[in-house]
Amino acid sequence: MLSQVSSWRGDQYLDTGWVGPFFTLLLCVFILINIKRAGGAKDLFIRRIAGLNAIDEAVGRATEMGRPVLMVPGLSDSVNAIVVQALNIFSYVSRIAARFSNPILICCYSAPIFTVGQEVIRDVYNQEGLADKFDPDSVRYISDRQFAFAAGVSGLILREQAAATFFMGEFYAESLIFAETANSIGAIQIASSTEATQTPFFIAACDYVLIGDEFYAASAYLTRQPVLVGSLVGQDWCKLTVAFTIMIGLISNTVQLGPFKHTQLTEEKKDAKMKPLEKPRPASLNDTFMGNLFKKQSDPELKIERDMDPNFKPAEAPAEGGAG
Amino acid sequence: MGNFLLQAQPSLNFWNGENGSTGLWLKIGLALLAGIAMIFVLMQAPSQARRPIVMFVTFVSGLFYVLYYFWPRPVDRQPGELPRDFVETVSFYIDDAFGIVTDLSSVLSGLLLGLGIYSLLSVHLRRISRKQRDWGFSLVLLVSMFGMTGIGYWDWISRQGEAGIRLEDPNNWTRINYVKDMFFDGVLQNMDAAMFSIIAFYILSAAYRAFRVRSIEATILLVTALIVILSLMGAVEFLWNGAIDGITRNDANSFMNNLKLTEISKWLRDTVQGAAIRGIDFGVGIGALAMGLRIWLSLEKSGGKS
Repeated sequence: MLSQVSSWRGDQYLDTGWVGPFFTLLLCVFILINIKRAGGAKDLFIRRIAGLNAIDEAVGRATEMGRPVLMVPGLSDSVNAIVVQALNIFSYVSRIAARFSNPILICCYSAPIFTVGQEVIRDVYNQEGLADKFDPDSVRYISDRQFAFAAGVSGLILREQAAATFFMGEFYAESLIFAETANSIGAIQIASSTEATQTPFFIAACDYVLIGDEFYAASAYLTRQPVLVGSLVGQDWCKLTVAFTIMIGLISNTVQLGPFKHTQLTEEKKDAKMKPLEKPRPASLNDTFMGNLFKKQSDPELKIERDMDPNFKPAEAPAEGGAG
Repeated sequence: MGNFLLQAQPSLNFWNGENGSTGLWLKIGLALLAGIAMIFVLMQAPSQARRPIVMFVTFVSGLFYVLYYFWPRPVDRQPGELPRDFVETVSFYIDDAFGIVTDLSSVLSGLLLGLGIYSLLSVHLRRISRKQRDWGFSLVLLVSMFGMTGIGYWDWISRQGEAGIRLEDPNNWTRINYVKDMFFDGVLQNMDAAMFSIIAFYILSAAYRAFRVRSIEATILLVTALIVILSLMGAVEFLWNGAIDGITRNDANSFMNNLKLTEISKWLRDTVQGAAIRGIDFGVGIGALAMGLRIWLSLEKSGGKS
C-alpha cells in the first residue's frame, strides 16, 4: 500500500514510465531549437531527393501531353499530420500545374480531407492570381470505403488518361491497384507511403518513391523555408539521439547478459519491485537495464485513498437488447 | 429515443449529465450556442484577424492532447472519488473530457460528409444532365448511393427496440432485411472482395518488373525474394531442409543447420527486413512529431510557396 504517493507522480510516470514522456520532450526541444537556429541561416544543405526533383518533369510532361495530373492524399479518415504534409506537396504540384494551365485531379477518401483539400488548392490558385481557372470539381470526394475508393480512382486514372500521378500519405492494400493501373497507361508516378508495408509495392510499380521520412522532408526540400529546413535539421538530431540510444542499449545489453555465457539471475523485477527467484535462471532481454527502462510495470497493490463525492450516483447499466 | 441515450453513459461528470435531465439539455444548448458564436465570430472577423483566431483554436486544441500526455494522470482512480489537490483536479477534468474531445472530431467528420456528398452530386448530376461520356456510370453511382442509403436506414429502423432481438434470427426477417442483406452482404461486400483479389494479379506484374535483373540492387532483390518465396513452398522446403538434415545426420548443433531455407529466410526477415522497417518507422515517427509541432505552434506556412 503506497497511499502517500504524490499527485505529481502521475500514473504515466510511475516505475520507468517517465522515460517515454522525457524522450518525447527531448526530441521536441531538439526540433524547436533548430527551427529557432535556422531562422537567420541561409542555404542549409539538404541532400538530393530524386522523387522531388522529378515533380517538375512530371507536371511538364503532363502539360506537353495535355493530360491531367492526378493526386491522392492517402486513406486517412481525418485531417492529420500525414494529410497536411501530402496536401503541402500537392500545393506545390498544383502551383506548377496552375502556371502551365494544366488540369489537376485530387481524389479524396474522406469528407474532411476533401473540404480542406479544396480550400488549400483554391488558395494556391488565388495566390497565383488564377482564381478564375480553379475548377472546384478538380478536388473530388470519391468514397470512404477502401475498395470502392480504389475502384473509383482506378476508373478516373483510366478514363482521364492521367499523365502524372502522385500517391502520397497513408496507403494500404489498394496501393498496388493505383500504381499498376497508372503504370498500364504509361503515367509518370511519384509515390510515398507512411506505411512501411506498402513502400515495397510502390518501389516495384512506381517511377520515384519517397521512402520513410523523405515524405516529411518534401516541403522543406521544395520550398526551402527556414522553419521547415530547421525542423529537418532537428529531425536529424533526433535520429542521431535514437541511434545513440540504440548503441547504448546494444553495449549495455551485451555486457549485462554476458557476451559469451548468459548471466544467472537470483532475483527479477515483477510488479515494479525486485523479487527473489526460487531458483536461478539465465538473464533474458527483459531483465536488462534497457529492457526495464522501456517496459513500464505497474504495481497492483498501489492504492490511493481519496474522499468520496457525497452526491455520486453510480451510472445505470445499459438496458439489455438496446439498439444495436 | 431512450435507447439512443442509453448507449453511452460510462459515468456522470462535468462533461455529460443524467439522461433527459435539465442539466444535460442546458449543456447541449450552451455548447451549440458557443459553436454558433465561434463560427459567427470567425465569419465576421476581418481576414487579417482570422489567422490569429485559427492559430489560437489550433493551439488550444493541441494543448489538450499535450496536457493529456504530460500532465500527471490520476493513480488508481475509482468512480465517485474526489481529487486530493489542484493537480488531481486538473487531471480528473482532462481524464473525463478525453472521450468527449475525441468524439468532437467524429462530429466534425459527420458534418463535413454533407460537403462530400454535395461534391459527388455536383460532378455526376452535371455529367448526366449534359450526357457527357460514360454518363451511364454516373447514373448507376447515384442510384446505388441513394438506394443503399434508403435501404440501410429502413433496415436500421426496423431493428430498433425489441424487434432488434427478434431479427437477430434470420428466420424472423422481413422483406427489407432480405433486401438489405442482398445489396450489402451479397453485392457490395463481394465487389469489395473482387477488387481486393485483383491485387494478386497486380503483384505478379509488379514483381515481374521489379525482379528483372537490371542492376546489382535488382539482383539482390531477386535472390532475397526467391529465398523467401521458396521457404514458404512446403515441398521445396521439405526437400532442401531434408537434404541438410541428411548431411548433418540430424545433429542439432551443426553449423550447416544455418543453411536451411527456413533459417535463411527467418534471418532475412528478422535481421535485414526488420531492421530496415524499424529504421523507416523511426524516421516516419520523428517526421510526424516535427510536423505535429509545426502545426500545433502554427509554424507551418501555407502550402508549396518558397
